[in-house]
Amino acid sequence: MIKILFQIIFLIFFSIAHSESFVKASDSLIWDSENQNYTANGNVIFKNEKFIAYSDKMIANYIEENNKEIFTIVELFENVVIEFKDEIFKGNHAIYTRNNNLIKLTGDVSIESPTRLLTGYELIADIDNNKRILNSADKDSLVEVLLENDTNN
Amino acid sequence: MINYFKINIFNFLIIFFLGIQVFIYFFNQRPLTKDFSKMAMSVENFSSIVLSKSGITKIGSEKLKKIDDKNIYLEGKSYLENKEYKIYGEDISIKLEEEISNSNKPVKVLNSMGILNAQGFQNFDNEGIMTFKGKVEFFIDD
Repeated sequence: MIKILFQIIFLIFFSIAHSESFVKASDSLIWDSENQNYTANGNVIFKNEKFIAYSDKMIANYIEENNKEIFTIVELFENVVIEFKDEIFKGNHAIYTRNNNLIKLTGDVSIESPTRLLTGYELIADIDNNKRILNSADKDSLVEVLLENDTNN
Repeated sequence: MINYFKINIFNFLIIFFLGIQVFIYFFNQRPLTKDFSKMAMSVENFSSIVLSKSGITKIGSEKLKKIDDKNIYLEGKSYLENKEYKIYGEDISIKLEEEISNSNKPVKVLNSMGILNAQGFQNFDNEGIMTFKGKVEFFIDD
């Protein structure tokens, strides 16, 4: 009985630990409450309920709702790597907008998944609709729609 | 004759006590008040309230050291709390006129987004900018 109780407690803590959002940086973090943003510098890691992102610098804008600050736009600079499920997006710059769950990457962009690697100069990842638009130098536009039944990511 | 001496003694005593009062007034009260505002002082288990741009900020520490009229130093475990943030740290310097506080010791900050841990901070309160130094971890409330 005690063993089961411990297992339940462990699972609760494990799920909390894996669902938490955070920003980590090795050099500094600046909170500008006048302009409502946070700037993180040096080996930045940003995690939310959707993805985990790595970059050299991050600027995150927020709004205040019901006495709580909520990130609305997260901008990532230099050596951007975003891990979303089994996909890895890479680029020089990325911007994530929370209200429509879109990630736009620019620079030397790539999408890496267990079965393929695609490269280009611009990627728009629509997380809610499970859609990726990759603009490459070879073709004007390459649209890839992931064929999965579950679109509620 | 006796009355003459009595009156003289009485007058002498009045003048003597008035003299003592004048002595106390000039050489005790006034200089002490003047020195008190100028000298460095320290208070243990200190807490107080200051008015800044962020509103009313409650400050406290294990030991407060007044460096001069414009600078104080919160020695040991210290805190600054107002409606926007709660800062818990150690050895915090505060420039009262510029409303700048800073520390190079580990700090924990609570605000309406979450809990932040850093290796130090500098808070420009009148500009609304707070810089956290070194390795920073900011856990966000979902």
